[in-house]
Amino acid sequence: MVIKLNNVSFQYENQPETLSGIDLEIAPGECVLLCGESGCGKTTITKLINGLIPHFVEGGVLSGTTAIDNINIAETEIYRLAQYVGSVFQNPKSQFFNIDADSELAFGLENAGVDPAMIRERLEQTIKALHIESLMGRNIFSMSGGEKQTLAFASVYAMNPDIFVLDEPTANLDADAIELLRQQIIKAKSEGRTVVIAEHRLYFLVDLIDRAIYIENGKISKIFSANELWQLSESERISMGLRSLKKSELLIPTVGSSTDTPDLTVENLSCAFDKKEIFHSLTFSVRSGEVLGIVGHNGAGKTTLTRCLCGLHKEKSGIIRLDEKVLKPKQRQKSCFCVMQDVNHQLFSDSVYNECLLSSPNRTEEEIDKVLQAFDLLPFKERHPMALSGGQKQRLAVATAVLSEKKVLIFDEPTSGLDYRRMLEVSGVINQLKAHGKIIIVVSHDFEFLNQICDKVYYIDK
Amino acid sequence: MSSAAKKGRLNFDPRTKLILLVIANIVAFTQQSIWVEIAWVVSLLILIAVCGCGKSACKLAVAFSICLLLQYYIVPVMPQVLATTFLILATYARKIFPCLIIGTLLVQKTSVREMTAALRKWHVPQGLIIPLSVTIRYFPAIKEEIGYIRDAMKFRDIHGIQKLECLVVPIMMSATATAEELSAAAVTRGIENPNKKTSIVTMRFGVHDVLCLAFGIIFCVVAFIIV
Amino acid sequence: MKNSTTNTMRMKGKDLITVGIFSAIYFVINFAFMLLGTIPIMWILMPGLIALFTGIPYMLLAAKVQKPGAIFLMGLITGLIYFITGQFTTVILITFVIGCGLAELVRFLTKYKSFMGNTLSFACFSIGMIGSPLPIWLFKESFIAQISEQGMSADYVASIEALSSTGMLVLMIAAPIVLAFVGAFIAKVLFKKHFVKAGIV
Repeated sequence: MVIKLNNVSFQYENQPETLSGIDLEIAPGECVLLCGESGCGKTTITKLINGLIPHFVEGGVLSGTTAIDNINIAETEIYRLAQYVGSVFQNPKSQFFNIDADSELAFGLENAGVDPAMIRERLEQTIKALHIESLMGRNIFSMSGGEKQTLAFASVYAMNPDIFVLDEPTANLDADAIELLRQQIIKAKSEGRTVVIAEHRLYFLVDLIDRAIYIENGKISKIFSANELWQLSESERISMGLRSLKKSELLIPTVGSSTDTPDLTVENLSCAFDKKEIFHSLTFSVRSGEVLGIVGHNGAGKTTLTRCLCGLHKEKSGIIRLDEKVLKPKQRQKSCFCVMQDVNHQLFSDSVYNECLLSSPNRTEEEIDKVLQAFDLLPFKERHPMALSGGQKQRLAVATAVLSEKKVLIFDEPTSGLDYRRMLEVSGVINQLKAHGKIIIVVSHDFEFLNQICDKVYYIDK
Repeated sequence: MSSAAKKGRLNFDPRTKLILLVIANIVAFTQQSIWVEIAWVVSLLILIAVCGCGKSACKLAVAFSICLLLQYYIVPVMPQVLATTFLILATYARKIFPCLIIGTLLVQKTSVREMTAALRKWHVPQGLIIPLSVTIRYFPAIKEEIGYIRDAMKFRDIHGIQKLECLVVPIMMSATATAEELSAAAVTRGIENPNKKTSIVTMRFGVHDVLCLAFGIIFCVVAFIIV
Repeated sequence: MKNSTTNTMRMKGKDLITVGIFSAIYFVINFAFMLLGTIPIMWILMPGLIALFTGIPYMLLAAKVQKPGAIFLMGLITGLIYFITGQFTTVILITFVIGCGLAELVRFLTKYKSFMGNTLSFACFSIGMIGSPLPIWLFKESFIAQISEQGMSADYVASIEALSSTGMLVLMIAAPIVLAFVGAFIAKVLFKKHFVKAGIV
């Protein structure tokens, strides 16, 4: 099916125009990348194709027409479009409707009223084609983010759509899960389906896409062939605000088990969960003003390690020492701060200023202003934390930690779903903390980012 | 309601369990004879044990015995304040016991999909089935959220009544965001399709279902007769 | 130029899912107090306490889905889950249906937008919970007959009668109405402080 956008403009309720005068034609079987900085309008284009605009997004103003073949999207009910267009979204947590994987896979076909015998046949095909045998029969809440996203793709694939629309599908995925998604896209493409994908992360799309549409301020600013895109020079792609085109290799020295540097030392640390050991006898150390990256495969225990370091998980054995003093979990909670992957869970107050005051009530307004200024938050002092952008929320969480004089800051995947410029902003924050002599630990699989900020890397694996 | 029924054990049609629950309700509030009650509870316990809820059946049996013991032997020799408390508790708990037993069976041995399939068979409108399944799906999500938020609070030195506000606000914020995102995903997968929806869950009313319901109805009648 | 969606009063997929999510939150709070209800005096106060603490999800749902049926569905779901898990009886289903019906009527009459209207509907809705302790009064006679037969002293019977007196019945019914207003007020404070400012309602 041909996708045609004819002079489309769109404006969300009470906001300036997001897209203006978009003309775009995508041929059947084509794989097209929509790229550009956050807020450029690429997600909005995906919503035009899957019909969320105009059918789901309320109060917007749309002009121009979007059509697939002869079907005008604006005049077709979204459940009819579901036959032709399948959508995968950014957040793995909020796109499954059922508790068990089997129901989820059948969900779309059951909605369409397909005969049960045919559904079963189609599910079998899907499971085979995408190799998801290991997911079947499982509770979705027990799955990792990557597994959830794999299932989300499979549930869309099961509906057999001609067009796949993927909106930042890798935002919350690690390298292994990204590779899985890549294989799934290859499969869909080899079957002649059209794939439209809006993404920041580009390296995994090498030799997958046919064209890349670069969007700037709601307009198509350049269209690249696959070759042209991959041959962009480093400086060109950085000036366009794009993430690395090649899979980054870690250029930081990995550390072995040594504790010759003081400040924060971890000795023979083991953690268990329900008696099952997650990792065994880890030893490493970090100095003040140093950034340690922690990398490792899924299931190696990165999450448990961070939780243990900041005192949320009790160690099975081993010692964690800060400034020569052995710390118990409760004490670690006092001197550590973890910036979580979903920072929404850690902002509580009704304004940026009060958020700062909440955990350090003895600070003067000047002191708080100074910290807010340092993290580019001063203009938003009276704003509600939840009305901030993702990056601002993250910086606010860091600001609260700085104000309560935490010595150790731990970042859990701080760059998930960020474009190049926003990744640089995070690097900036970390460099500032470094200059303040904080001990910084960053858990991430974003090697491009780790290369920029880390002094050393600890590799954790079974 | 997550674990699907295992093969090889006696498994009733979800509709049977739901009807049985209604019957249990009727029996609970009509029967007066302690012997009818005990017989009813014991047969239900055997029923769920056969269905694979052996462990729970044992626990419930112990709890029921404690209620009886309390009421007939312990309460009469207790100080009055305690006695009132325990008497009402034990009496009421005993009343809803049969419902609790079948409820246990439903929760442990019926998956959400079987339940929705049963409700669809009964022509319960989509307008109820959709939010009901979302509610059940969102329970584990709330648990997850609360876990994250409580973790985050530990770094922030938050105390007293403030804790409550700091818990409630992010939960509400996140519920609003989830409602938006989940709806987008569900809508693009055709949840608004007015067609008759199908289900790959097969349900058959077997001989054992008929026998089970017949048994329930007999008890119902007996409960009405023996007062 | 065209506006992207036309507002209908019929609930769409998104509305139904929103109802589902807020019902889950409502149910969790409700259930927490239900557990407290194992102490008889708490049981009688339970409908009131639930009203006090569920104002936030209720008012948020009422603000998010300004369409007929949203509240009725929330009540129905709560009642059904209690029913399916066997913790409850047909009595509560009936009171819930009455409470929700009244709440919907109030919402319809006050056009879904007014805070006072939603508060009033919340008070009606909260009365639905009285179906839980109501059997104390409904089956009072058979209950008292039963304990008398058991050979309990007249003292015991008297104290049970005191607990299930008409005064207690009035208290049990009045508490949710009064506390619903308090609960809605708390919600209003949080709306102003957080939800409106954050732009979610």
